[in-house]
Amino acid sequence: MTTTEQQKPATGYAMTTLPNEYGLMGAEGIADLVKRATSHAPIATYVEEPEPPISWAAISDAGWDLVGIVEDESCATARDLVAIAKAWGYGSIPQPLLPSVLAKRWSAAAREVNGPVTFALPLGDGALVPFGAVDGIMVASTLGAPGGAVTEVPTGEIDGLDLVGRGIHAPAATAFTADAGREVALVLAADVLGGAERLLADSVTFVNEREQFGRPVGSFQAVKHKLATATVDVEAADTALIWGAQQQVNAFRGALFAVDRCIDAAEVAVHVHGGLGFTWEVGLHFPLRKMLSVRRIIERMERDHA
Amino acid sequence: MTTTTLDPVRDIEQFAADAEQFLSAAVPSRWKEGRGTLTSHEMDELRRQWDFILWEGGYSGLSIPTEYGGRGLGLAEEIVFHVLAGKAQAPDGLARIGKSLVTPMLIALGTEQQRTQYIPSIMNGQEVWCQGFSEPQAGSDLANIQARARRVDGGYLLNGSKTWTSFAQHARRCFVLAQTQPDAGRYRNLSMLLVDMDQPGVSISDIRQISGAVHFAETRFENVFVPDTDRVGDDGDGWKVAMRVLGDERGGIETAARYVEIRSDVDALLDVLGDDPTFASLLRDLDIRTELVHWQLMKVADLEAAGDEGALARAGAVLKLMWSELWQDVTRLGVAHAPVTQQKHWSYQYLESRAVTIYGGSSEIQRNILAERVLGLPK
Repeated sequence: MTTTEQQKPATGYAMTTLPNEYGLMGAEGIADLVKRATSHAPIATYVEEPEPPISWAAISDAGWDLVGIVEDESCATARDLVAIAKAWGYGSIPQPLLPSVLAKRWSAAAREVNGPVTFALPLGDGALVPFGAVDGIMVASTLGAPGGAVTEVPTGEIDGLDLVGRGIHAPAATAFTADAGREVALVLAADVLGGAERLLADSVTFVNEREQFGRPVGSFQAVKHKLATATVDVEAADTALIWGAQQQVNAFRGALFAVDRCIDAAEVAVHVHGGLGFTWEVGLHFPLRKMLSVRRIIERMERDHA
Repeated sequence: MTTTTLDPVRDIEQFAADAEQFLSAAVPSRWKEGRGTLTSHEMDELRRQWDFILWEGGYSGLSIPTEYGGRGLGLAEEIVFHVLAGKAQAPDGLARIGKSLVTPMLIALGTEQQRTQYIPSIMNGQEVWCQGFSEPQAGSDLANIQARARRVDGGYLLNGSKTWTSFAQHARRCFVLAQTQPDAGRYRNLSMLLVDMDQPGVSISDIRQISGAVHFAETRFENVFVPDTDRVGDDGDGWKVAMRVLGDERGGIETAARYVEIRSDVDALLDVLGDDPTFASLLRDLDIRTELVHWQLMKVADLEAAGDEGALARAGAVLKLMWSELWQDVTRLGVAHAPVTQQKHWSYQYLESRAVTIYGGSSEIQRNILAERVLGLPK
């Protein structure tokens, strides 16, 4: 695979932080798809519904699950996938788009499958199969190395943490090469960064509308400064993923740092929503739960590839 | 239609290679190796000479348009050069305020006469500038300026005190924010004046900081004449001009120099504490945050070049918070746990770093800007 051969200019000063055309167009297309499907309705109105607001057919008919496949020189880089995953994460749509993109990018067997494909991520003790609860989804045994197969999802306990991810627990993780593992970590982290951006935007809307003491709570400096700090966190997370995507050696630590900053921002989002922030029905916990799940997985992957 | 496009990748590679070569030959060895033995007067002289060396070598005003004596390049080249200069242990010139604040201000809002009169001598290092904004009663509340410039025939007579004036001791000129319309309301009562410091009525007294260093001064103006032609913008537009300057002050070039200093401090900590598991996770965090300052800056330069105004505003507004709070965390670890043999360095760095979350817009002001201007929260 040539996808992860990263630019290594002589001095490193020419490294760009922006995605190329492929990533920009992809991210824009995904953002548009998410916006049209949800009209940015509250996440809680669709996450737990049996039918997600975007159908798998809508995803695969447009070829979004094949967006990472390497065909010629214009294929997606890790940086491009980070941009696309971030745009997708903003919607918290319970469809296995990102696992399918990664599986089909890194496994020939997965590319033979028409429907969605996923993999099993290491939890230290057993593994998590994102979207393992989705009917008919296949699991890739190997990512990054030649060979490998796809199998049906083994029966396992439903994962109660990441509810957007609709995962199940499995006994063993997929075998990831270091290259594939790094990219999986970056894409998982970019997915939750999209969720953090969403929580920040929802928080700004909320504090502009919610009044106490006769004025919007967002006019109080204590609230402003919390959201300003969350903004610094989200910016730093974004930059950490760019860093990790452009310099392989920093992929795992960049991804882990980014997820930590997303958790920081999500905690602020829950807090500034006051009494509503910790209710199930407002749904801020859905992106936060994914962050907590992803954090554990990336830490394990970093250890496995150290 | 065919167009020739420059290859930005190759160009900046070439720029960096040239700059590295220039720096390795140009940085005075008296500075690089003998800095500790120089008197403060000798150090100032070398810093002044360095401005001239930069100009001669074509590295002064990299992002200033060529018609004003700059190189006409972008923020990306400024960042690359400042990082390389830091690594090459080049002196910090005295022309910083002139280049990074006065020149962009004059290009954007000055008259053609002001540009041709002042920019060339900033570029070649001949005239050092200082910034007369803060006052004892106007810190974070900058609009509360009390210095007054009274209308007289052909200009103004300036009276008042400015404080925290960097480079005042070296400066030939100062750009001063003063009240010119005491009866007008807040934000409409100020004007921006370009003041010649080399005249009677200007007095300067040093301010010593907790580190022992003297980077600032208090500057007093008593009946100092400023001609009308040295006002930037209209009478009453001073606040607007000042806002433009503050945007530059919190921007990229300053951060590039900071990155190099913080990188060097973190490397020093990794050397002495890197093997101690007690500090492993803290050092890892500081190391990552340091690199992210540099990458944040590269992101800002790329977004500026791409013209993505929305993303640029947010990415730029976090820069100062990122580096200033990081540096304080770094020096705090150093002063507490680095070997006693390095105590002089770390106590100095620690005490110096207390100022960085205050000057140039305190962390609280930075967060207000983020909340109100970037997120759009109500005032």
